[in-house]
Order: sequence, then C-alpha cells, then structure tokens
Amino acid sequence: MIHKCKEIETLISAYLENELSQAESVRVAQHLAACPRCLTLKEKMEDILLKMSDLQEEVPFFLKNRLFNIPDISGKKNAAKIIYFPKWLAAAVGTVILFLNLFYFTNIFPSVNREMHSMVGSVQTFVVRTGGWFEKIKESKNLFLFTFFNKKTSESKAEKIDSDFNLNKELSKGGNNG
Amino acid sequence: MLINAYSKAVYNIALNFFADKDIAADVTQDIFLKIYNNLEKFKEEKNFTAWLFTISRNYCIDYWRKNKKYFLTNQELDEKTSAHDPSPEDNSIRDSEIVELRRKIARLEPELRVVLILRDIQDLSYQEIAAKFSIPEGTVKSRINRARLKLTQSFMRGEQ
Repeated sequence: MIHKCKEIETLISAYLENELSQAESVRVAQHLAACPRCLTLKEKMEDILLKMSDLQEEVPFFLKNRLFNIPDISGKKNAAKIIYFPKWLAAAVGTVILFLNLFYFTNIFPSVNREMHSMVGSVQTFVVRTGGWFEKIKESKNLFLFTFFNKKTSESKAEKIDSDFNLNKELSKGGNNG
Repeated sequence: MLINAYSKAVYNIALNFFADKDIAADVTQDIFLKIYNNLEKFKEEKNFTAWLFTISRNYCIDYWRKNKKYFLTNQELDEKTSAHDPSPEDNSIRDSEIVELRRKIARLEPELRVVLILRDIQDLSYQEIAAKFSIPEGTVKSRINRARLKLTQSFMRGEQ
C-alpha cells in the first residue's frame, strides 16, 4: 500500500489539473477512495493551490518611485561611460612616455638615443622658426595697431587743443566784462 | 512603459521567492537596473517577456545562492520562533496564512520555487514557462508536481 501511495502522491498534482490519461485518473480516484492519507494530501494540495492566488501583491509605492528613477540613473551611467578614458589606453600612453624618457636621457641604446636627440633638435629648429614667424606677425600687427591708434590719438589731441583754446577765449572775454 | 507593465510580475516573483518584502524590493530594483543596463544587448527578434523572466529567475537564484547561509539561518530561526505565533504585523488569520505559505515556498529548492511561483501565483501556462526559460514542457510539469507535493507535505508535517 505504502509503495502505491508513493506512486499516487506524484500523480496528485497532475490529477488536480486533469493532466492524466483516463486510465490513470481512474486509478488515482480509486486509490483516493480507499486511502484516507492520500485523500488528505489531495485536499491539502487543493487548499494550498486556492490560497496561492492570494500571494499576489501590488508593488509598494516607495518601490515604484525607486523604479521610476532607474532610467535616469542608468542614463547618467551610460553618459559617464562615454566620457570615461579607458585604463588600458592610459597605461599604454604612460608606458610609451616612460620608454621615450629612458631612451632620451640614458644611453642604453645609443642609436635610439642619437635618433631621439636629432629628432628633438629638428623639433626645436622648427619651433624656433615658427616662433620667428609669430614674432614677425606680432610686430606687423603692433605696427598696424600703432598706426591706427596713433592717428586716432592725434585727431583727438587736436580736438582737445581746439576746445581748450575756445574755453580760454571765453574765459578771457568774461574777465574783461567783469 | 516597462516599469508599469512588468514591475508587479517581477516584484511578486522576488517576494514569493524570498518571503521577505525588503529583500524583494531590493532584488526588484536590481533586476530593473540590470534590465535597463542591458537593453542594448536585447535582440528585437527575441521575446522580451521571456528575456525579462530569465533575468529575474537567474538573478533570484544567484542572490539566493550568494546569501544561502543567511537565508538558511533565518529559516531555522523562523522554525524555532514557530509560524504559529503570528507577529504583530500579521494580525488577521489570512495574513498569517499567507506569511506561512510564503515561508514554506521559500524553503523549496530554487528551481522548483521559480516554476511554482510562475504557474500557481502568476498563472502562467506550462507552455509559457517552458518557452520563457527554454526548457522542455515535461521538465516544467515534473518540477511543478514535485514542488506542489513537497509544499503540501511540509504543511502536513507541520500539522502533525
């Protein structure tokens, strides 16, 4: 009987859902009619399945609020990711700079050291030349500005002298009258 | 919108999986964060609900496995304090029955728990569950049968 109970127990769930074949259903029903223990199990299972629908709950208000903020948080995270400078790239750039310094300031590899010095020399020459060009441009700019402002200043000076002269004239007139 | 459509389902999976409202809230939030962060990876030809349920299931199982010690200790403590003494929060009989049922579900194996929640609480069909998790329908059926049997037996043991 116990052996049969074990077998029937495994079928009760399917029996409740009408998932068994006709023959199996009849077999289970016959056993349930004869075995109070399995019948109690079946009734208890039915009772539990009925209660299961009560386990659904609405989402709490505070959680809904938290969930509605997620799109903003994840959006900011993605934006931050775009700006983020990859670590491997930083490490690679750092290593390259370190090695360049090593080759330039030490004589471990003389040929590389020579190459680097000549390269730096050509860069310096280029910088000096371009500096010269900039100086020339600056000078011509200054010259232009000087001409423009100087002219303007002389005009304003002439105007001022004229007005002063007129004012003195007026004052001297008034002095005579008084 | 995504949250309006799926938050209840995800929250109820987590709530009945862990039988703890605070953990369920945290897990639901984590799941949605994961979903938003991985939306780009989701391929449109796939079923979105299935993808979401798979993420939820995997996350719940992972979370449970990571904190297994904590959960098992809690379950032992629950047994000692006895489910027959309802806490002040569980005033009505119905509430205490629900809490007890959740606790019993939370003691099932994680894989059994998930399918039971989806079938008997969320009311999904065997086919739907099988399609969502890409497992054979027969496996779903046998897991649900086992879960129901274990759950019922645990209640009967408690009554004896």
